[in-house]
Amino acid sequence: MTQTDARTLILVVPHWRTIAAGTGYNIPAVVVNKNRVVDATPAAMSHGIVPGIRRREAQSLCPDLEIVADDEERNITRFNSVVAALESVTPRIEITTGGRCSFLTRGPSRYFGGDQALGQTVADRASEALSAMIDVKEIPTAVQPRIGIADSRFAASLAAVSQDTSCVQIVPPTTSRDFLAPFSVRALTDGDSPLAEADDLVDILQRLGLETLGDVASLPGEELYARFGTQGLFAHRLSQGMDGRTPVPQPVSDVAFGEREIDPPADHVETVVFFAKALADGVHRQLSIEGLVCVGVLIEVESDHGEVSSRFWRHEHQFTSTDITDRVRWQLEGWYNSETAPTGPLTMVRLLADEVVPDDGYQLGFWDKETPNDERAVRSLARIQGMLGSDSVTTVQHEGGRRLVNIEQRIPLAATTFDPDRTIASPELSTAPWPGRLFAPLPVVVLTQAQKLEVTDSQGRRIRVSGRGQIEGTPVHIQSKNLGLHSIAAWGGPWPLEERWWDSTRNTRQARFQFLLANGTAHLCVIENGQWWLEASYE
Amino acid sequence: MQKASVAVSLVNDLRQSSAPVVLAHDRTLPVVDELTGLFNGKGLKQGSTTEVSGTGAVSLAVALTVGITRSKGWVVAVGLPELGSSAASDLGVQFRRWAFVDEPKDQAGEVIHALTGAVDLILIGPEIRLRASHGRKIAARMRERGTSVVTVGDAGRCNLQPSVRLRVNRTEWTGLGHGYGRLTSRKVEIELVNRGVDSNSHRQLLWLPDGEGRLSAVDQDNEWTSQSEFCSRDEQKILTDLDKQIPWAS
Repeated sequence: MTQTDARTLILVVPHWRTIAAGTGYNIPAVVVNKNRVVDATPAAMSHGIVPGIRRREAQSLCPDLEIVADDEERNITRFNSVVAALESVTPRIEITTGGRCSFLTRGPSRYFGGDQALGQTVADRASEALSAMIDVKEIPTAVQPRIGIADSRFAASLAAVSQDTSCVQIVPPTTSRDFLAPFSVRALTDGDSPLAEADDLVDILQRLGLETLGDVASLPGEELYARFGTQGLFAHRLSQGMDGRTPVPQPVSDVAFGEREIDPPADHVETVVFFAKALADGVHRQLSIEGLVCVGVLIEVESDHGEVSSRFWRHEHQFTSTDITDRVRWQLEGWYNSETAPTGPLTMVRLLADEVVPDDGYQLGFWDKETPNDERAVRSLARIQGMLGSDSVTTVQHEGGRRLVNIEQRIPLAATTFDPDRTIASPELSTAPWPGRLFAPLPVVVLTQAQKLEVTDSQGRRIRVSGRGQIEGTPVHIQSKNLGLHSIAAWGGPWPLEERWWDSTRNTRQARFQFLLANGTAHLCVIENGQWWLEASYE
Repeated sequence: MQKASVAVSLVNDLRQSSAPVVLAHDRTLPVVDELTGLFNGKGLKQGSTTEVSGTGAVSLAVALTVGITRSKGWVVAVGLPELGSSAASDLGVQFRRWAFVDEPKDQAGEVIHALTGAVDLILIGPEIRLRASHGRKIAARMRERGTSVVTVGDAGRCNLQPSVRLRVNRTEWTGLGHGYGRLTSRKVEIELVNRGVDSNSHRQLLWLPDGEGRLSAVDQDNEWTSQSEFCSRDEQKILTDLDKQIPWAS
């Protein structure tokens, strides 16, 4: 992706949470989440209330403060009317969160005759929608929509919020780096960036004497990567005016797409959400198997009268399947409450993972680290993933089955939510209910690929098993390329194992044996269609 | 009465404050009770290399990690793609803080170096080889950071100096006859050789595994029940002759 391709417009409505909450902007009011102020009206801010302080502290600063609880669903569904006003500018608007949306400017900018004209148009339309919403003629400057256009999302988001005098700020092409240079490194956590929660990193950077983004940008990227891992690399890329992660060019594969017909057609939001949940799970799982995560998703819902609601959503880190399901719900609530609400029941839901990036292991930073050891270990494993590829580090997942290869499942660490306290279902083979199971003790070496083997009687003839599961002959010698030739000291079997007998093309018949060799080693072997295989060893 | 209790608490305080500082090389990683006999009642020395060899080395190496995984320590197995995780969890391993790097390819040195200092124990598989320069660097870092290594097979190929060598000297399976029964348990004799001035050797009998796939102690009175079934030299010759006669199965 070249720089002009990534050029982005970001629209930010200041104090959006208070607007969505319906508090008047001229009375002191705050929106509170988990006892912390997350947003405050201009009137409240004039009392010295800033986001981040405790609810009680805010009340002590302003006794007649109005307090509203935060609600992400409300934040986003109410924002839909602003976004709808912009859809005449471009159809491809991505909502990151309530009060903040973005789109790529390449097409629209040319159509409207340049970035300045585009920015002004967007500002006018958004202001119009906003004034209709809060029911005033002239929007006060404090809550006027802010627009930033720059070469990267991060730069655009800073351009949007950093301007006081005018509500449109444009960073000319290729100058994003210079624009960002004077900003404090603190900006890394509050811009539209994948480092929103990396306060630790910013603290360290400041203690190292790196005060501005320019300082960070002038360091060699590899050094930052070596010292701080993925976060360091992000910090470097962002401060150079690039996007944190490079999107994988489309199309990745079919897996990034999911479609589901709703039959019978549904009138209820929850029914559609239920279908979408299964879709989202599938798409998410498939992507993670390929070592990818989704940061942008297109959600489309159709009604049986042919009406379509189609919307892009963006996530700063990555969408989990629950995140996607939430977005479906929000989109539908917004659709039903809008002027273009569907007139018929809904028939189809479609998900397209529109923007996918390689899973860089950044999500590892989010799970609760119980001990400092966990953090160190996970960081080093993430580094090894970086060295050898995302599927090089694996962890254990036990699955049911009768064959050892089915039971011994390793899955890439990148495909799991790597929580040290996750429950791992113990296989408990010895108590498993199915016939044909293996008995404890189990072999401690399980070959990833079975090896060919010859088992013979004292005359050198191959031992066979009859169709009735009877052994023909007495096994005396065992021979293979890797083991060499050995005499058999003791043996047990055959234990027949028949799978999928109902399916003539896929059914298999095996007989299992245990052989104890004269050198003291013990092995698990099978015979299938007259061929002996070494499957595992009791090493 | 009160004076006496004050005196006792004073003595305790004094005892605590005058206790010798624990040096890095005295710190140990926990091992399960059945194995503490091999380590003078303690555990695996931090920052040390332990070499495990003989028939049953993989089981023994896995058994050494059980105590660590139970106390929230991290174990990474490098180059052990064939390790049976079901058998390992029967032995008592908890896989929550356990990861595999199956094929480090030609970057084994870099991988192990990256893990040193970040995890508690690195299990190194029999196919892994390290250059002398890597081995030296890793050993120095292990001593400094307290990460321990267990090698399956000779530690020399990784250019690491084992401070403890554990060898499975003798094994005996029970439960399997000629065409009947199944493998139920294995008795092993483990010999420990310490390096250095206080070189001494221990022997210990263990069930590895016992009838339920676990590790358990052997009653010392328990004799080896059957005759040793290892090949005599004559037998070996017959086998070698046979080897030439039987065509390869392919």
